Amino acid sequence: MSARETILARLRQRAPDAPPPPPLPPVRSTALLEQPPFASRLAAFTAILAKLGTTVEHVADVATAARRTTELLAEHGARSLASSDHALVAAVTAQLPTDIERLAHDAPRDDLLRAEAGLSSAQWAVAETGTLVLVSADERHRLCTLLPDLHIAVVPASRLVATLGCAFARLQPDAAPAGQTITFVTGPSRTADIELTLVVGVHGPKALRVLVIDD
Amino acid sequence: MSGHSHRTPDGFAAQAREALGDRTLTQAMRRVTDLFAERRAAALETVPDWQELRQQARAIKLHTLARLDHYLAQFAGAAAKNGAIVHWAEDAAAACRIVGELAQVHRATRLVKSKSMATEEIHLNAALAAAGTEPVETDLGEWIIQLAGEMPSHIIVPAIHKTRQQISELFVDKLGVAPSDEPTVLAAEARERLRQHFAEADMGISGVNFGVAETGTILVLENEGNARMTTTLPKVHVAVMGIEKVIPRFADLEVFLRLLPRSGTGQHLTSYQSLLTGPDVGVPGRAGQGPRELHLVLLDNGRANIAVDETMRETLACIRCGACLNACPVYQSVGGHAYGAVYPGPIGAILTPQLQGMHQAAALPFASSLCGACKDVCPVQIDIPSLLLELRKRAVEGEAPGAAPAKRAAFEALTWKLWAWFVRSPGRYRFAAAMARLGDKLPLVKRLLPPMRAWASSRALPRLAKRPFRAGHKDGGS
Amino acid sequence: MPAPRPSRDVALFATCLGDQLFPGVVEATVTVLERAGCAVRFDPRQTCCGQPAFNSGYWREARQVARHFLDVFERADAVVAPSGSCVAMLHRFPQLFADEPDVAARAAALAHKTFELSSFLVRELGVTDLGARFDARVGWHDACHGLRELGVRDEPRTLLAAVQGLELVELRTRESCCGFGGTFSVKLPEVSTAMLDHKLDEVMEAPIDVLAAIDGSCLMQLHGRLERRGARVRTMHLAEVLASR
Repeated sequence: MSARETILARLRQRAPDAPPPPPLPPVRSTALLEQPPFASRLAAFTAILAKLGTTVEHVADVATAARRTTELLAEHGARSLASSDHALVAAVTAQLPTDIERLAHDAPRDDLLRAEAGLSSAQWAVAETGTLVLVSADERHRLCTLLPDLHIAVVPASRLVATLGCAFARLQPDAAPAGQTITFVTGPSRTADIELTLVVGVHGPKALRVLVIDD
Repeated sequence: MSGHSHRTPDGFAAQAREALGDRTLTQAMRRVTDLFAERRAAALETVPDWQELRQQARAIKLHTLARLDHYLAQFAGAAAKNGAIVHWAEDAAAACRIVGELAQVHRATRLVKSKSMATEEIHLNAALAAAGTEPVETDLGEWIIQLAGEMPSHIIVPAIHKTRQQISELFVDKLGVAPSDEPTVLAAEARERLRQHFAEADMGISGVNFGVAETGTILVLENEGNARMTTTLPKVHVAVMGIEKVIPRFADLEVFLRLLPRSGTGQHLTSYQSLLTGPDVGVPGRAGQGPRELHLVLLDNGRANIAVDETMRETLACIRCGACLNACPVYQSVGGHAYGAVYPGPIGAILTPQLQGMHQAAALPFASSLCGACKDVCPVQIDIPSLLLELRKRAVEGEAPGAAPAKRAAFEALTWKLWAWFVRSPGRYRFAAAMARLGDKLPLVKRLLPPMRAWASSRALPRLAKRPFRAGHKDGGS
Repeated sequence: MPAPRPSRDVALFATCLGDQLFPGVVEATVTVLERAGCAVRFDPRQTCCGQPAFNSGYWREARQVARHFLDVFERADAVVAPSGSCVAMLHRFPQLFADEPDVAARAAALAHKTFELSSFLVRELGVTDLGARFDARVGWHDACHGLRELGVRDEPRTLLAAVQGLELVELRTRESCCGFGGTFSVKLPEVSTAMLDHKLDEVMEAPIDVLAAIDGSCLMQLHGRLERRGARVRTMHLAEVLASR
């Protein structure tokens, strides 16, 4: 018997008088709740990320986003920027000063490893939890959101949903091409492994900045 | 290997005494459990439907576990359809062999690993080390205890028993760095060192928090980013998953994500969740950015036997949040090492005897005052006290499934037989009480009887009343 | 004085610990119940609920004792005990008799009409003021089984609030286990004592004269250590406080 058969056979060894399995309850999702207006969603998103040290700015257009990105890069002393292949990201990077080194999503791994900042969009943002939802089938952002010290995300305002449940309701991994990776990002990387002292930026980004762009 | 590998589940009493003698350890345990309990309480206040969420999670888990054959097969099928390669491991040895062979086939010599209880349960590192390919632990706490050759003392913060000074000394000794007891400096050192390992790794090994049957998706949850690194940078990703981690529907993840971090660290959500649905091979015109191969090792190692045990099944509903550890007054006092096993605290006290067999872990179900705090905080409402009681019975009566009857003192068994004989009859009860009153007058008796000695070692012995209550109430009235 | 209430027949379960070690607590329980208008009867055939053996894994022995308990008490209208732990044990009988559904059903019926003292007074009788007077600062220990298995939290506080001269001091560790746990206290005495000391560290610093609870077993543990540590804080059962005038 294969290991698969052995394990499944073990699982089928139920006592003949075993009670029937309890029923599977219907899905419980916050997506079904009434959704607050955008202003409330943005306020909640901003407030919860502020607690994690992540700033959220609401900007009117790509030009403003590019200006703020430039300033954020300067603030963090970042000279190189790894970008995803999202159209909005491309629009922003096109307006950045030329002295910033650009690294595309498919740049050599070693170059991406030394990038000082990363720029991505997000497929969804969750107001309730301050979470960015990154779907790899829609954007190549696995590396630029992970490797650099600074991660800047430019998120279309229309993508800001109220709750985690709203995001789950919009994600359909079975409908997507195989090989899809969804990453939820809530604030910067952190640890409390040494005497429970919070240290921000242990393996992933040390700082996360979010620009919500009207669309 | 570890200087503490002599610890065993049955050695709880001695190990607990050893722990109680270590002030650094007991203070650290008190600090971490107090802090997490406090944060958990604060996090719960933001969730008005907490009890409904717990009930939902419990109902999902109990349904799935009762039909685990069905959901596991569905999960494996969906994962395979996504391009993952599914392996089935009946026990720890099989799982270690599978991972070892994968390393060999891929000529992987540099392995990185993110925190995973299942891989610790099967002692994967030791098995791979024997083949010369010990993975580097990349969670900061796990890395620290790997460097120190120690065991985790808490399932969420494994190195909590070490002070910053001890960690600094460890880094000076093992890494040759300048001494600093500043956590940010120590973490930065870890970041730099482990970056190198991530960049060079041929294979990444992770655990799995949830596996979704309908989509074949696995979810890995973390704070540091090391699990993202481990599941992104190496060209091969091996995920070891206990078979009880399956849940039916993708949308069920929301309920569990609302419960797990709040129960564990008091965070509303940990920094990162990676939801992997097959290897990231990319789509036409766009290369993938993750491992080209994803291997799923489905680990039984005793779980299937628990799943078909109607009474004990709910043990497998555990989502490894650690809330029961933080709430447990025994754990708060002695910490994780005393349990002599990978899973400490109340959940360990019910899980370890079932995974390892009662013949070497019968002491653990007794390592509890049955106060019930664990049940109160469990996000899936596991009735740990009832399961502890059931396991105590099995330890005594020797009916633990798959285990030889536990050792038990014949003297103890005789004592309880006599006790019941006296106490089930009012006449004999009165007689025994009268005898005890005589004994109470003899200090020698107290010095000789082990339970009396144990009590008196720290507490004044109670005296039997001169006359029992019943002496004045023989008529039935009051 | 409380208004007279309709009489209620109560079968008193003294508990073996109360009977043999703390008859004063049982006497106080009788006093309090009578003041609340109950006719209290004590059946001398009673012994123990079986919990010590049950918690130690000796279920066969526990069943023998539990069966005797059923025989003694199942015809009573209401059973009241000055203990949360022993009453909680009644709720464990169905687990104990899982292989004997008829006994389990009898046990469930009995559990339904068996009460811990404070919850009987407050929930069943609606009595909150027993006309007691007790001049002291009292710290409260929420005994685990009463608290977590029977949901006894507010009832003792309601009763204490009506005691003249009494100041209730809420402790930070009020819900922390005292470390007794039956045979746990002698099988793992060092762990038991560490749990106890964690609680007493606060108790001994607190501005209280008395530490009170609904369970004699906890009080035995707490008292034994307080005495060993030379503390001036006394331990008292709730019934003793409520019987004071």
